[in-house]
Amino acid sequence: MALDLPFSLQLYTDLPGHEDCAWQVAWNPAKPLLASCSADKSVRLYSYRKDPYDPSKLSFSYLTTIQTGHKKTVRSVAWAPSGKSLATASFDANSAIWEKSEAPEDGEDPSESEEWECVGLLEGHENECKSVAFSGTGTLIATCSRDKSVWVWEVKPDAEYECINVMMDHSQDVKCVSWHPTEEILASASYDDTIKLYIDDPDEDWFCFATLSGHVGTVWSLVWAPRGDYLASSSDDLTIRIWRRSAKHAWEFAHQLKGHTRSIYSISWGTGKGDNLGWIASTGSDGKINVWEISESPQRDAARATLSSRLVASVSSAHGVYDVNSVQWCPRSGLEELLATTADDGSVRIWRLSSTALVSDRECT
Amino acid sequence: MNAQIFNANPTIYVSQKSSRKSRFEAGQSLWVDDDDDDDEERSSDADVEPIDQDEIFELIRSISDPEHPNSLEELRVVSAEQIEVGDNHIVVEFTPTVPHCGMSTLIGLCIRVRLLRSLPPRFKVDIRVQPGSHQSELAVNKQLNDKERVAAALENPSIVETIEKCIETAESSRRV
Repeated sequence: MALDLPFSLQLYTDLPGHEDCAWQVAWNPAKPLLASCSADKSVRLYSYRKDPYDPSKLSFSYLTTIQTGHKKTVRSVAWAPSGKSLATASFDANSAIWEKSEAPEDGEDPSESEEWECVGLLEGHENECKSVAFSGTGTLIATCSRDKSVWVWEVKPDAEYECINVMMDHSQDVKCVSWHPTEEILASASYDDTIKLYIDDPDEDWFCFATLSGHVGTVWSLVWAPRGDYLASSSDDLTIRIWRRSAKHAWEFAHQLKGHTRSIYSISWGTGKGDNLGWIASTGSDGKINVWEISESPQRDAARATLSSRLVASVSSAHGVYDVNSVQWCPRSGLEELLATTADDGSVRIWRLSSTALVSDRECT
Repeated sequence: MNAQIFNANPTIYVSQKSSRKSRFEAGQSLWVDDDDDDDEERSSDADVEPIDQDEIFELIRSISDPEHPNSLEELRVVSAEQIEVGDNHIVVEFTPTVPHCGMSTLIGLCIRVRLLRSLPPRFKVDIRVQPGSHQSELAVNKQLNDKERVAAALENPSIVETIEKCIETAESSRRV
């Protein structure tokens, strides 16, 4: 173990249950809920609350299973910013939107209602859907597929979903889509080793305004800095690259992180604590979770600022011998140090990042 | 499936007598073991004695070629020398009979499925074509080692049917 690291990741809870490989985990941004999806075609929901005997702790419990009706693996799961809707993307080429059923008006106990129903089906991709994501305002959804396309959907009133654009800029399988946290900028990552960025031309259609090249392997995962001025990507080439916004519609390579020995399937960028750009957590086929603290040099001129990173925590064999497929920081205020992972063992694990020393001279001031 | 024959007249070699048996049994789920107790038992057994390349070769030598009535060993598509065993890490290289072989991805998938079903989950397996033996070497390698593409292929009934046919010979030869 790397004893000199300032933080450690403590296993908080193990939530087994999927009957097959678990691909992705997603924290609900507004409610104490967590969703995971699996090759077993289901989504499992977990809830958490303060432990009644020890309010400094959270206790997690299984809530319900959504039998999605997808005919193949559910590869991706994402919450709307409101926390009310959940999206699933499946190898059966479809994506679906789920909402909790309204409690019956004269029902016995509305709090007991945990039925989730499909309120919309997003059909059109030719083959496996790999990723689904809601925009920062929740009014747009993006999906991507092995058919090389990225689709943008508009969320209309009464749970109507309309495809407003199809972008065919990648030359291969598209692995991941991710929206800028506050602006309508979409990023996609592909088996063709590139990242593409898209915006809406108000007079025309959505279009690709930038291609970020540099990775020399499939790009698996994308995540925006919480502040929106950086984008990070993880790849088969065993690196994480951070791209800086140098102008309104210009992005450039800024920094590289190395610390994995096999494909890096997932990254997440949390707000962290203290006066820096936050924490990037990464994981993948080597079964390791790494946490890096990202900082910017003092000058605030974004075009000249230099990024620095340091590994602050690391845990090996996070799910035993299994590949870890997904990692996500809890987005809710006060829970910034919580991390969720899913793996080929079908389980979800919750981790807590805590300081290794009682008084650390490295703590931010 | 494409009906085109990529190598109509392959060279066939005599296969060696099986000298030993693999400890690993077939029939497990592709990703998660259904029977945890059984799995733990096998894992701890395997911890005592590390596996070697002959043992991996034993698992894959009798896989049938998708377009010929021969085993991968008889066609010299696989050999013990092309297998590298590291610390919970196995690299299998195979040699397509012709450089334009359109069956290469399928052969690689058969090897992958055979090993996924036979080995304890602690092994990471990389499968590649022998360097220089295929005109689309990088593309084949990339596809065979993309876990998402492999998982999706294994949900495709017609691909699975072909794979089952090819590895049936390997699984049944083991039971003798």
